[in-house]
This record gives sequence, C-alpha cells and structure tokens, in this order.
Amino acid sequence: MAQHTTTTRLLTPLLSSFRSLVLSSETTASATIPKTMATSTRSFSSTPNLAARAKQAKTSDPRVNLIRYHMQHPKTPRPLKFSRMRALRHWTIHRAWMLARRKATEAQEAELIRMHQSMHRACEELRNFDAPGKKDSGRLYRIAMEKKGIFGHGGVPIEYARPQTDTPAREAWNHGWTR
Amino acid sequence: MSTCQKAARPLTRCIRESQSASLSARTIRNFTSSTRQNEEAAAAVETKPPRVWDPTTVTSRKGEKALMKDGVMPIGSRRRRAAISTSDNLPFEQLPYQCFQEALRVLRADRKEKLELIKTERLRISNLEAQDVTNIKGGQKHKDTRLESMRRHLEYLKIQADINDPLIKKRFEDGEGDMNKPIYRYLADKQWRKYQHKLITQRIHQLSIVPDLLPHFEPTADVRLAFRTRQVSPGEFVDSRISEYPLRLKVQVFDKGTRLVSIVVIDSDVPQLETDKFESRCHFLATNVPLSPTINSIPLSQLSDSNVVIPWLAPFAQKGSPYHRYSVFVLEQGSELNAEALKAIPRDGFKLRSFKDKYKVTPIGMSLFRSEWDEGTAGVMQRSGVDGADIEFKRKKVVALKPKQKPRGWEAKHASTKYRALWRRKDKSA
Repeated sequence: MAQHTTTTRLLTPLLSSFRSLVLSSETTASATIPKTMATSTRSFSSTPNLAARAKQAKTSDPRVNLIRYHMQHPKTPRPLKFSRMRALRHWTIHRAWMLARRKATEAQEAELIRMHQSMHRACEELRNFDAPGKKDSGRLYRIAMEKKGIFGHGGVPIEYARPQTDTPAREAWNHGWTR
Repeated sequence: MSTCQKAARPLTRCIRESQSASLSARTIRNFTSSTRQNEEAAAAVETKPPRVWDPTTVTSRKGEKALMKDGVMPIGSRRRRAAISTSDNLPFEQLPYQCFQEALRVLRADRKEKLELIKTERLRISNLEAQDVTNIKGGQKHKDTRLESMRRHLEYLKIQADINDPLIKKRFEDGEGDMNKPIYRYLADKQWRKYQHKLITQRIHQLSIVPDLLPHFEPTADVRLAFRTRQVSPGEFVDSRISEYPLRLKVQVFDKGTRLVSIVVIDSDVPQLETDKFESRCHFLATNVPLSPTINSIPLSQLSDSNVVIPWLAPFAQKGSPYHRYSVFVLEQGSELNAEALKAIPRDGFKLRSFKDKYKVTPIGMSLFRSEWDEGTAGVMQRSGVDGADIEFKRKKVVALKPKQKPRGWEAKHASTKYRALWRRKDKSA
C-alpha cells in the first residue's frame, strides 16, 4: 500500500504536467474550442491584451510545477521549526558537543605526539648507547630501526603498489624512479 | 510503563502541583508577589479596584479585551500565555532538560579554563612589562611586538570565554548587549560584516566614492543616517524637503575606548560652469565630537557651537544637473583639532583628500545619500538663502564634424516611384 502511494505521488505530477502540455497544445492547434470558450467567458471588455495575458500565465515551467507539487503536498512534512528558547537550547547543546568533540580530538592528538616523542627519545638513547669505533656499537639502534613486519607479515611497502588499470601501461615498470 | 513516561512523570507531577497550587491560592508565584498581595489587601478595604491584567499571562477573552481597550496587546498566543501562567517561572539556565544541563556543564567547565588562561596571560603581560629592556634579547622593538601579540591573544581569550554562553547570545539578539564588553562588540561586528558592511562597500564602489573622494577606503565603523524619523539606506535618493533638516547619525564603533571624530558632509557633484567640471562642496563640518561604543548617537543639530565648524547647508541639486552624491564621512582624529582655525576652510572646493592629509585624520566610516531636483528644491534653496533656483543646466550641443549620412539600404535605394512594382503590397495600396 505504502509502495503504491509513493509511486502515485511520484507519477501524478508527471502525469499532470503531461496533461497540461497536451491541453495547451490542443488549445493552440484547434481554434474552435478557444473561440467558444472566449464567447462564453467574454463579458464587457474585448481587448486583445487580456487574452494575451491569460496565455502568458498559462505557460508555466513544468519544473516549477513539480517543485510546487512536492513542496505543497499534504504528505510533505512541515519544515522543522523551533521556538526561540528551544532553538537557543539546541544551539547550546550543539556548541557544547562541538567543544567536547574538539577537546577529545586534541587530547588524542596530544597523546599521539607524546607517544611519538617518547619513542624518539628511546631511540636516541639507543643510538648514543655505546661509543663509536667498536664493531658492536649501535647494534641495538640498528635492530630498533628495522622495519620488519610493519607492512603486515609478509606484506610489501605501499610504495610498491601500482594503480589497478584495465590495460597494462605502455611502460610496465619505471626503473629509473627515485623518491 | 515506557521509559518516556517514566522520564516525564516527575515533570508532569511538578506541573500538576503548581497548577493546583495556583488554582487554590489564586496567585501566580513570581518574584514580586508579596508586595502586590499587600497592595491588593489594602485596596480591598476601600473599594474593589479594577483587576490588573498581565499581558504575558492573560488567558480569558475578557482580560484580553480589557487589555486591548487600554492599548496593550497581549503577548504571544493564548496557548503560550496559559503555559506561562501555569508553570513556575524557571530561569533559562535551570530548565530541566537533561542534555541541555549536561551541555551547560561542559560550557561552564570550558569557561572556567578560559578564565584561568586569561589570568595567566595577564600575569605574563605584567611580567613582561615589568622587565627591563636590556634583559630582553631583541630590545624595545621585540618587547613591543611581544606585548602587542600577547594583548591580542588576551582579547581573543576574552571573546572565547563568553562566545558559547546562550544568555549572552540571547541578550545580543534582543539588542540589550553592553557595548563596553568585548564579546558584544565582537558579535555586533560580525553582524555588521554580514550585510551592512558589504552593502556600504558596494555603494562606495558603485557610486565611485573611492576614486572621487578618497584614494582608498575600508570602513570599520557602522554609520546609519536618518533625517528626523526618516531612515536613509546607503545611496538612497532623498527628497530635498526631507534633507533640509540636519542629519542624525548613529555611528557604531567596534573597538573600545572614547575617541574624537570629525564629521564631514560633502556634495561631490557640484557643476562648475567656468571650468566645465564638477567640484565638491562641504555641507557640514564638525570636529572634536566624542565617540565611543556606547555613545554612538550624533544628531548634527544638537552639536555644540564649539564643535561645529561649518553649519548645515541643506542639500540641493539644481535643475538639469545629474544627481548629487552627498557623502557623510566620520574621520577619527589623532589629537584634538583647533575648531577656530578650521573655520577658515571655505565651503566651496572642499577637498577631503587634502583635509585628511593636513589634519591627520583617518576615515573610519561613511554613508551616503543622493539628491535630485524635485518640486521642493526651489523652496529649500530660497529658505537656505541660496540663489540659482531659476537656473537650469543643459548639456552643450556638440556639433558633429562629419556631415549627416544619407539613408542607406535597399529601401532608401528603391524609394522613388520608379520602383513601385518592387514595393511591398501595403505601400503600394497607400
């Protein structure tokens, strides 16, 4: 049932605009109908001006008709309107929500920065751990700098990815590429 | 019982109780109930006084009629009035909505933080001010820039502390904002820039105020014009009988402090027959007018004689001359000017550029109106003692150097009766 009503609601304006178009084309094509109409409705003034104006009013934009149909349809819900105080309350809640969200984001970012700095400090500590010259010096630092498993286990760096296209490129691999 | 009902139960009970209480006591509890009751009791001894209806709470037709008879319209809908009269008069920030209360708590906490920041910033500024210049690395210049940026940050914090307050927003929207406070000035500035600033900038460019009167100009103050009760929007045509009386200015500045301003009204389209050019004429000049965010109304007719340098001359546009632009400039002075010395300035040929450069004044705001010859102009000119109402300006006819061209085209060529056969049917019949 609901499906049916929506389809009719969508179709009716189209039908009506089509119908109006047909009607207008008929009136322009056959001169008999408007003549009788004119004789019946014409009262005192017989100026051609009036007729021209009526014709002008009749030709309206179907898009405007369509919009008007939907905006003024009884099933279209009324626009959301708040009373002043309620709008003010709404505004207050909105502002507080934005503020809270921003604070949460900032706290998250600060935490990330803190963790990154901590890691950096630890790596510096490892780098300066033992004096240079020996074979073993900086071993721990080198191990810490290894990037094993950072692209997932058995994964490849993202730089090696190429865009998936329908056809192969003219040059399959650019060997001369450097960052 | 659904959760919704459960949540609404205390509220409904509260409403019911207040209603019954109000019905039994026949009084609506408000802040001034005691004195009013006493008054009523005292009056009841003598004669029964006419009942006083409150336009915010009256619900009966009788009461409404009585109020309207006195010329007071009841406020809002009857439904709203009934709601107000039966509810206890809770202030806005105590309204019992959970989310709203939570939001207020968040905003209050934020404001507290901002106030702390303001306190520390103030301390920092005072510390830097107390420091000797020799101890600072960049010297005096560095100190000044740092102080300036810190003060700017302090202003920013002051605004941020108050910008989320719903009551401040409400008070500003009601026009009850105190312009001495930075937040209201900030909000007013935003409001002005939303439309009025754009409008006046457009008028300045459309009506060529900028190349004609000043080399460049960016308004920072809101200037509104009115002749008595007639409000004038920027660039409007004003009847000469209306503009006969001096202007009323409303100048709103958005930065704190009192300053002295000069006010100039210039007609920049005075036709000069000798030079075949347009010149400008000063219609009004006043100096040393105090202006602050709260003292913003300047009626030109009520300025004291010590301020007025050139008294008001009614705008007039002589017959045949194109419309005249009357621009009203508000110029901020660096220091007090000598009004007596300024009286030597002639009315005709007044140049705003040279005035600005000579007396070190900076234009902060402007507004303008236009004027044309109309049926009242002759009377206005006569009353203000200006002659020339009988003169009508006319454009000099420019004689063309080239002789007039003969009519060309097919029709001109075949105009003679020899070509009658080629003419169109209508012409042939005629």
